[in-house]
Amino acid sequence: MKILVVDDFSTMRRIVRNLLVELGFSNPLIQEAEDGESAIAMLRSIPFDLVVTDWNMPNMTGIDLLRAIRAEAALKGLPVLMVTAENNREQIIAAAQAGVNGYIVKPFTAITLKEKLGKIFERIAAAGASA
Amino acid sequence: MSAILPLVNQEHLPTELRDLLNSPDGPAFEQALDVMVRDREQRLFRALGQLARDLHGAMRRLGGELASEGLPDSVADARQHLNDVLEMSALAAHRSIDFAERMRPAAELLAHNAGEVLAFTDSKSDPAAVLAHQASDFAISCRDGLADMVMAQSWQDLSGQRIKKVVNFIESVESSLLELVRLTGALAGSEAPASAVKVSSQDDADRLLSEFGF
Repeated sequence: MKILVVDDFSTMRRIVRNLLVELGFSNPLIQEAEDGESAIAMLRSIPFDLVVTDWNMPNMTGIDLLRAIRAEAALKGLPVLMVTAENNREQIIAAAQAGVNGYIVKPFTAITLKEKLGKIFERIAAAGASA
Repeated sequence: MSAILPLVNQEHLPTELRDLLNSPDGPAFEQALDVMVRDREQRLFRALGQLARDLHGAMRRLGGELASEGLPDSVADARQHLNDVLEMSALAAHRSIDFAERMRPAAELLAHNAGEVLAFTDSKSDPAAVLAHQASDFAISCRDGLADMVMAQSWQDLSGQRIKKVVNFIESVESSLLELVRLTGALAGSEAPASAVKVSSQDDADRLLSEFGF
């Protein structure tokens, strides 16, 4: 499974990568982008199966990245998991309305990540089965 | 028009204005009023300008107090110090993650090797098997501990975001302050120089302030 991890802090990208590897995802298939702008460019050129993105980033924020993904025919079905320190009601609602697949508030644990990823894949499988 | 005038309670007006109101000379009245208003504006703008200058001086001093090792003192320095903290903390977090990434395969190898020994002998009376059990337990708790250590480094991201917000705040305070200086300077009669539109350095800021006489 190809995963794109988007965060402007290199430490956070590494932490998320470590957690994903710990959960059994292949390290070489995980790629990183430091903001929404470079992420969308990568998504347009290579197929990915999952995006894990921060909210607060320069150039293009995570919510704008999510909206850009949903607005593009080739990308709109891509699962997006938001991992962010932004935890006010309005922002969570905005992310939900923009079509986020999961929302994790920092600081978080490997267990939370595992649970949210599990739910995302469950729903995708259920949607695939009913389609 | 004349119907409005009686509504003004002339008793509360300054003598000079009352005299003018009652004077039949229209243009002289307007001119005198202009002078008065302008005079008051000038005082207000001067006061605002002085306030901006004082604030700017306070910010410079703050920068100076934060600066050390003979660095030039400025708001830019204060920002730089915070950016340095950001970089240093990121470096420290990366070093911790480096360590965890280096040690995790070692812990996994130990667990694997212990498993091989146990496949060969698992008798409670065999010291090799006892040691292999201990090594396996240690390797597993080590791997979990390293994963927790990696996760704990997220403090850098959270504290870093707060520092970035403070840096942005300082930047916006400084630019608002300079805008205030520019505005009050322009209103007080000096023309805003074209260079004032974009202020990029401490020197530019100081030059702009002195151009307006603050």
